[in-house]
Amino acid sequence: MADEALFQFLHNEVIQYVYKSAENGEMENGRCVSKLEHLGFRVGQGLIERFTKDTSRFKDELDVMKFICKDYWTSVFKKQIDNLRTNHQGIYVLQDNKFRLLTQLSSGKQYLEHAPKYLAFACGLVRGGLSNLGVRSIVTAEVSVMPACDIRIMIKQVN
Amino acid sequence: MAVCVAVIAKENYPLYIRSVPTQNELKFHYTVHTSLDVVEEKVSAVGKALADQRELYLGLLYPTEDYKVYGYVTNSKVKFVIVVDSSNTSLRDNEIRSMFRKLHNSFTDVMCNPFYNPGDAIQSRAFDSVVSGMMVQAC
Amino acid sequence: MVDQRERSESMEAHDEKPIIYTMENKPIVTCAGDQALFTSLYNALAQQLPREPMEWRRSYGRAPKMIHLEANFVQFKEELLPREGNKALLTFPFLHIYWTDCCDTEVYKASVKDDMLRWQSTLRHHGTQDWLIVVVETDGKKKNKTNLLPRTSIMDKIRNDFCNKQSDRCVALADPLKDSSRSQESWSSFLTKLRTLLLMSFTKNLGRFEDDMRTMREKRTEPGWSFCDYFMVQEELAFVFEMLQQFEDALVQYDELDALFTQYVLNFGAGDGANWLGSFCQPVRSWNGLVLRRPIDMEKRELIQCRDASLLDLRSYLFSRQCTLLIFLQRPWEVTQRALELLHNCVQELRLLEVSVLQGALDCWVFLSCLEVLHRIEGCCDRAQLEANFSHTVGLWTYATEKLKSLGELCGLVSEKGPDSEDLNRTVDLLAGLGTERPETANSLQSPYKKLKEALSSVEAFEKHYLDLSHAAMEMYRAIGRMRSARLVGKSLAEFYMRKGEPQSAALFLQDSLKSYVAEGWTLQITHTRKQVADCQKQLGQTEDYLQTSALLASDANLTDEERKHFCQEILAFASQTSSGQAQKAALSMSAFAQLRELRFRPATAVLHVGSALQLELCLCSLMPVPVHLEQLSASVLFTMEQPGQKIPYGSLQRRPSHGIAGLSPDGVVLFPATSPSGVPSLGLASAPPTLELSEIQDRSPSDNALNSTGVVCKNVHLLLRRQDSSTSMEMPGAGSASAAAVAMEDGMQQLKTLDVTLLPGNNIVHFTAPSQKAGTYTLRQLCATVGRVQFLLPHIYPVVQYEVYSQEPQLTIEPLSENLLAGLPQKVKFSIVTGHYTLKKGEALQLSNTESMPILHTHTCSAQILSSTGELVGENTLSIHSSEKVTSISLPPTLPYHTLLFHLEVLCHIPTSPARPESERLTNGEVRYRTKSHVCHNSGMASVDQKVSVDCPWSIYSTLISLTFYIPFKAKYSLLSAGKRKYIQVFLQNVSETNFRLDNQSLTQRQPTPTLELSSLNAKAQQLVHSKQSVFCLWEVKWKTDPPACLQFSFSASFAPSDVPGAELKPYVYDFQLERVSTLYSVRAEIRPGSGEQHCRTGALCGLEVSITRLTEPSDAERDDEETTETEGLRTTKLMYEVVDNSSNWAVCGKSSGLVSMPVAASATHKVQMELMPLFAGHLPFPSIKVLKYLPHNATPAIQPDTDSCLENDNLSLLDKGLDDQADTASLRSRGSVHSLGSCDQPQQPAPRVLPMPRLEPFAPGQVFNCSRGRQVLVLPAADDHILEVNAT
Repeated sequence: MADEALFQFLHNEVIQYVYKSAENGEMENGRCVSKLEHLGFRVGQGLIERFTKDTSRFKDELDVMKFICKDYWTSVFKKQIDNLRTNHQGIYVLQDNKFRLLTQLSSGKQYLEHAPKYLAFACGLVRGGLSNLGVRSIVTAEVSVMPACDIRIMIKQVN
Repeated sequence: MAVCVAVIAKENYPLYIRSVPTQNELKFHYTVHTSLDVVEEKVSAVGKALADQRELYLGLLYPTEDYKVYGYVTNSKVKFVIVVDSSNTSLRDNEIRSMFRKLHNSFTDVMCNPFYNPGDAIQSRAFDSVVSGMMVQAC
Repeated sequence: MVDQRERSESMEAHDEKPIIYTMENKPIVTCAGDQALFTSLYNALAQQLPREPMEWRRSYGRAPKMIHLEANFVQFKEELLPREGNKALLTFPFLHIYWTDCCDTEVYKASVKDDMLRWQSTLRHHGTQDWLIVVVETDGKKKNKTNLLPRTSIMDKIRNDFCNKQSDRCVALADPLKDSSRSQESWSSFLTKLRTLLLMSFTKNLGRFEDDMRTMREKRTEPGWSFCDYFMVQEELAFVFEMLQQFEDALVQYDELDALFTQYVLNFGAGDGANWLGSFCQPVRSWNGLVLRRPIDMEKRELIQCRDASLLDLRSYLFSRQCTLLIFLQRPWEVTQRALELLHNCVQELRLLEVSVLQGALDCWVFLSCLEVLHRIEGCCDRAQLEANFSHTVGLWTYATEKLKSLGELCGLVSEKGPDSEDLNRTVDLLAGLGTERPETANSLQSPYKKLKEALSSVEAFEKHYLDLSHAAMEMYRAIGRMRSARLVGKSLAEFYMRKGEPQSAALFLQDSLKSYVAEGWTLQITHTRKQVADCQKQLGQTEDYLQTSALLASDANLTDEERKHFCQEILAFASQTSSGQAQKAALSMSAFAQLRELRFRPATAVLHVGSALQLELCLCSLMPVPVHLEQLSASVLFTMEQPGQKIPYGSLQRRPSHGIAGLSPDGVVLFPATSPSGVPSLGLASAPPTLELSEIQDRSPSDNALNSTGVVCKNVHLLLRRQDSSTSMEMPGAGSASAAAVAMEDGMQQLKTLDVTLLPGNNIVHFTAPSQKAGTYTLRQLCATVGRVQFLLPHIYPVVQYEVYSQEPQLTIEPLSENLLAGLPQKVKFSIVTGHYTLKKGEALQLSNTESMPILHTHTCSAQILSSTGELVGENTLSIHSSEKVTSISLPPTLPYHTLLFHLEVLCHIPTSPARPESERLTNGEVRYRTKSHVCHNSGMASVDQKVSVDCPWSIYSTLISLTFYIPFKAKYSLLSAGKRKYIQVFLQNVSETNFRLDNQSLTQRQPTPTLELSSLNAKAQQLVHSKQSVFCLWEVKWKTDPPACLQFSFSASFAPSDVPGAELKPYVYDFQLERVSTLYSVRAEIRPGSGEQHCRTGALCGLEVSITRLTEPSDAERDDEETTETEGLRTTKLMYEVVDNSSNWAVCGKSSGLVSMPVAASATHKVQMELMPLFAGHLPFPSIKVLKYLPHNATPAIQPDTDSCLENDNLSLLDKGLDDQADTASLRSRGSVHSLGSCDQPQQPAPRVLPMPRLEPFAPGQVFNCSRGRQVLVLPAADDHILEVNAT
């Protein structure tokens, strides 16, 4: 579907751009990831506002997570999260076996070292979405074999 | 129909309050702020006893002699409050509903506007006009 | 209507108990026939009927209900039957039963039948079909009457006499008074029948009633239709349902009435009024609230019945009924909710209908009603239930409270001075409207009525009641966590106190709510409440707090300019008061008064040396509406001693990282986050957590570091997951009265001061000069603005603002002006002295100790520049330089501390004449080999010379040693060339420097001149230009008469000067080298002749090679005692080895290609060698090369022990027969004397030649053997047949 392709191309270009500008203006690439993540964050905020407009109110955290894994993921990445795990202490691991943004990169270990760039934005999307739903969190990601990846969410318990 | 329309942030500070100029603005601020009590009550009730009550529209928060205060909470915990003059009892519940719906749509657009920074007061003209639309219909 | 009233009278007329409309009522069932019999059964019947429930299927698709039927059995009278058009339902007899126990046909015929007929006809006349005939059978009778028909016959008779085609209307009841199974059965069947019939009747009659009622409602638009009448009718239905304990249905009736009425009122508001509404628009005369204590409020009902109920009456009555039913239904909370709606609604409706109401009357009504409802609810719930449901009751409580408050205000019970006469009159009028207390509450102490009366009686009583209510309401709100509501009540309580002039009681509530508003950022409330707080504080004389609040208000954008100015004036007024009275100063938080926006350092680095000046530029944004004059603005500075060791080296200062100086931008500006003045944090930002820092990680496996996984991780989780308590983070100074405590002056610190500043509204720039007496770190801590007695204090400046003062040691540096210093030419070097803390006094000098290899060429007019620390030129002096042969002393101009003294001097570094320069040796394979010991500047293959200068500086007793590196601009090589006996020396000179040179009078001389030897130059012109990286060759022929000594030492010299400097004087360049055994000993000549009978050589055909070796010279005396010659029969010979080598494989050497010859050591001795060759190709083939080597017998000891390099040289040596210039190499090799190792040329893998003595080969020195036929060629024709074949081919 065109729109999806468009998103992916744009996403790639954004990454290119950010890292290019990083080389020119000397900032260490940790910043790049953070920067990408922040882009994602803002986008996530907007998206979630849209997507939850017509859904009924969430019962609890888990309910929110399910939404993220199902509706949210589907509407952004055209598929559901394959597996959601939690320790019931505010840590959730979302497992996507065929993560859209990695599928073009490779299937296997090639370019593995570049994978993080392509996850930062998604991490932001999740964190932004959650934060707008009032769930403050830290979202990180891990890839061992592309295009599968684990998104790891650490919920900040609000006092 | 509405005499006051308010949007209140997650953290319970006002993002937007507009009331009919004819009446004392301050009073509405107090009313809206107090209504948050009931909003919180109703929202926290969700998932408890009345689990089925999971729609965003909270219905009548509380009536006062002069006003009826209605509430609505988005999934992003942003609260909408609409105050209506008690005198026009002709107002039906579903009309209020649709007002909130409009409000929510417009708010979503604001959120998705790159020039809006989430958490800031709402300056959007578009949103403003939607609101005035609701308030005009009264008189 | 008419007949209804009539009926009720007629009811009275009868001796039956008058109907009270309550649920005690039961549907009426008449009993005719044998009364005695009925009475005997009555009890059993009355008990058993309700025992079993019965399903009631109902019309209009209403859900069926199980109901327990009861009945009120009364004796049949015709009067009981409703006349035509009578709508009454409660008095309606739903069923008529005829009782008989007759079992005798005669008797039946005689009396019973007629009686029944009469009964029936009456019923029929009144058109009711709801009847039943019961035949009771008792065995008693059966016994004595033996001659009887079977009893059934009686039944049959009755059946076909009365119930044609509805035989079920006649039932038998067997021995009802016995306790037999039979009687049981008959009872139950009878009861069932009875119930069924009753229900049928209900359905029928109620249905009919409802139809009538509906038609009546349809008429409501017609003129003359009366709501009251209709009300009565529908209520009748409600009563019946209530009677049947169908409260749900009953309630529905009332709700319908309610809705109908409401609709009418609305329509009236909309314009179309029904005339009957007129009665409800009559002015309100009584406002005694709701009455919920009795099930039915008869008076009000009467009023409605006779159409003169006021709106309040109707509403009250309606609600009382609904309330009753709801309570029956156990829905008390719905009551409270409905109550609140009702009250609001009534108030609205009265407004809508423009009913004239005495001011305050409604307040009374509402107040009473609220309390009444609450009492009613409390009456039917236990404590726990109530507490669980505060959320339902609290609304009423607050409503009551509000109303009481407004009443109090109306009746002047709130003002400090009690009510005046006018107020009293009002009170009287209001009380009048309450009428007398109702009987049912008369003897309860806490009735709403009493409360109200009491509350209005006196100021004290009012206060008591008002406080009770308020606190009750607050408590409830708190209990259910509606804090905001609670605070709002508290706030109105505070207002009440203020009105009564009791600020101390108000203060707490005000502060409490103010805090909450600040915490949640509701600016309007903040402003409003803060004004009240200010008022309160003023009254309480809490000066400091008041001033603080005033400051906040003065800077509050929500207020009008006038208000803001007012509060600002309040502060200024206090400030200007001469502190004659109590000499107390007020310290206030600055945040409300002015804000620090940015701070600018001059110089920008914020790093300066002791004693220099640092300008601080503050941008202070005044939030006051008017200009404010400050006596002084001071910033307190914390000084921390510089730790020894972390002295800042001079060089680093310029590009010093601004560590410690938080957020200091390169242009020396610190920006401060803007906080909103009113003490409201901009929550959007405030609530935002620290931004998370991510980074990429790569997890590699330890074994092979292949990537296991990569990912994005968060570096500052700990920060992010730390819960920051939102409320405290939002707490701002000045939010509460506590702020005063927050602003404590730190003292015992240095102060930056500026006096008499006037802050205009908006941004102001203020300048400070920062102290820098001691070296160390200075941190700005507080900012304090003083206006008379008032001090505005910024308790801590954040982000941290620091500047650093350093002290520095003086130091001298000498560095070349150009990137490379060239030896041999005068070069400029730069002296720079950084004085640091040291002051150069007049007459102080630098002492440079000279070295003869590097003289300092000083011009007496050498000028020095003096630069300030910031780098601008402050002075220019000429230095006086005196030099003896030992030292050069440069007397320095007086220079201030932290200045830089700069001057240039020219130095010359002589080129060392014959440095062993291994780096200049080119190996045969063309690359330059480096030795570790050699100091070569690797980038440009230039040789370098280090020169040390020791300088004595005035500031130190130790002399500083400074080394300069010079580079030699030239690289020279020589080579020896031979032609037969003639010899030539070629010198190769390369300019390796970057500069171009003029080269002049190159000459070659012997160092110990030998007269017999002469050098004749073959060089064209002396003067020439050598560009950078260019080379020059010079050639000399060496001639001699008597043969020269074995070793000759030459010295090549030239003079040069940079070509770009025209007048530059020429500087010498000298290159020494030596040659050995230059004269040619042997000449080797080769001849190739075609095979016999051929005039040309042909490929594949053998041809002869003749090598003749000729001795050219007499043996030199050197040679005489040479042990390599041997005596054989008086003739001295030396052994040579020849070898024919054809490395281009043009030739195939047939037979042995090498051999030994012994040459007599005598001039022109010749030795010829014949051998055969076969050309392998056609064409002009070069001669194979012929080598001649010395052959040393084993007993001869090697000339020189092999040195470690031998192996290194093998490969190079093994290629010894190449073009001319190679000899140069061998020469240079010799000169290094590692000839011996040639031995390893033939047996390369021979480990160490010295160990086992055996014959060795040794090459001749270059030029000792001259090969005449070198480079000669011979024509070789292809083999003949090839030729022909070639022809054929063509």
